[in-house]
Amino acid sequence: MHFYLPIAEVSVNALLLVVLGGLVGFISGLFGIGGGFLMTPVLVFMGIPPVVAVASEANHVAASSVSSVIAYSRKRVVDFRMGGVLATGGAIGSFIGVEVFRWLRLIGQADMAVSVSYLLFLGVIGGLMLMESVGAILRRRKGQPPKPRRERRPMLLYALPFKVRFPRSRLYISVIPPVLLGVFVGILSAVMGVGGGFILVPAMIYLLRMPAPVVVGTSLFQIVITTSLTSVLQAGRNQTVDIVLATLLLIGGVIGAQLGARASGRFRAEELRALLALLVLAVGLRMGADLFIHPDEAFVLMTGTAR
Amino acid sequence: MIPLVDAPPAPAVSAALTDTEIRVSSGFRGARIVLYGAVFDPKDRPSDIVVIVRGPDQPIRIARKTQVAGLWLNSRPVVFEGAPGFYRVASTRKLQDIAGFAPLRHLGAGLEHLTIAAPLERRVETRYGVRDVVVSRLGADYLDWRRAVLRLKEKAGLYAADPGGVRFVDKGLFRAQLDLPAEAPIGRYSARIVLFQDGKPVSIRDRELIVEKAGVERALYVFSKDRPWTYGVLSVIVALGAGWVASVAFRRS
Repeated sequence: MHFYLPIAEVSVNALLLVVLGGLVGFISGLFGIGGGFLMTPVLVFMGIPPVVAVASEANHVAASSVSSVIAYSRKRVVDFRMGGVLATGGAIGSFIGVEVFRWLRLIGQADMAVSVSYLLFLGVIGGLMLMESVGAILRRRKGQPPKPRRERRPMLLYALPFKVRFPRSRLYISVIPPVLLGVFVGILSAVMGVGGGFILVPAMIYLLRMPAPVVVGTSLFQIVITTSLTSVLQAGRNQTVDIVLATLLLIGGVIGAQLGARASGRFRAEELRALLALLVLAVGLRMGADLFIHPDEAFVLMTGTAR
Repeated sequence: MIPLVDAPPAPAVSAALTDTEIRVSSGFRGARIVLYGAVFDPKDRPSDIVVIVRGPDQPIRIARKTQVAGLWLNSRPVVFEGAPGFYRVASTRKLQDIAGFAPLRHLGAGLEHLTIAAPLERRVETRYGVRDVVVSRLGADYLDWRRAVLRLKEKAGLYAADPGGVRFVDKGLFRAQLDLPAEAPIGRYSARIVLFQDGKPVSIRDRELIVEKAGVERALYVFSKDRPWTYGVLSVIVALGAGWVASVAFRRS
């Protein structure tokens, strides 16, 4: 069944989009990420203009994330205060990121910036996570005790002013590192067209050292806030949100997210992280490959007009 | 007195589109434009018909991939002006068999005669004492860039030449058929029907065609342009609402 999208101005297979939305929603619910880093490249590959794909994808991510946040909050594993602090930084970051992206598009380097940031961030984060989680799995197989968790957090978390108590995460740290983390993720999400969960999740585990069970729900909560904001901004400023595209994606997305959030209880945390690491690494390498492979076609048409 | 009856009437062409309005709604997967026309020529000289359909103009930005330090990066984009968003030329035979270079170039008939230019890359300067010399920054590569624009547009199904697209179905009566893909831009299209005899364009007719969004598609499009912020807030409410509904539904099951 084909649908003509009013803003993207292309005809797409509706059923395929619902199924894709469901798959990405499942992954989103399972890992606590938005799934934008998977969906945006797929949509662009299907012929949807990148500007529309990025903007409408934010809407889909908001839907599937809110669906899993509700599921997680019932299990009382969402740190709303930490999520709010991260989202505040994220909002600042996305304003900066939108301007950066406009400038990159103007000089024609947006494609390059997207490829490089996918390769760099997904590659590094995927690689590190894979090493860490495979190590943990191997130790468990050999019957060794898990590596003792270093309870000492980076001193910077305590040395800085504006300390706030985060009871759910059992933290009493300065708000500056989480706000900066939020800003950084916000910029990156605007440039890469993603929610930023794949950076937030490891950063909360390894930098803020939040308790693992709280991380996923909290990351999703901040994703809901930033992607909702991005959706409104994109629609208001660029008129690039395709509500038909977003609706098709989120029909599958919200159901997939529920199934994913349920399935997450059946996996061990390190196995889940290893799977996510593989996924992140694969997407990063695929997106970055274009930088190294000799192109068949030396010219590329740029979408969107010069503004 | 001038003997009016003896003057041979000039050959003329007449044509009409079967649809002058193409409505794009949710089921739109492209359309077929059918045009009928007649050639009026008492002398019955051999005639050829060329139909040129142009979509609304859309400036094209194109970049070339160049290798910098082992990485394939985009060059600074070049903007081509005056390029139609859609271009089809249908004819009774191959264009080069119908007419020579000059008339085809004049009419913009055929992909190689399409007038697109990158004005920002040109400047007029004085060289070797000669004033007003047009210099292109793209230099000798200019043709490569131009060819690339045509090639990429052809690949996207937006530009094409169909040397068998017009057929005479009866004496003096012809039928042209052009396919409009779903990706074709929305807007005002022009169809120019040219009668060629002996390598010269002897009669021209212009017809107009409108491709527009209809129904829900149109309502949503207009809404997103007229009240973008309300549209954005509404789309977020739909998203958050759907997420909430799903989580409630799954809790019950």
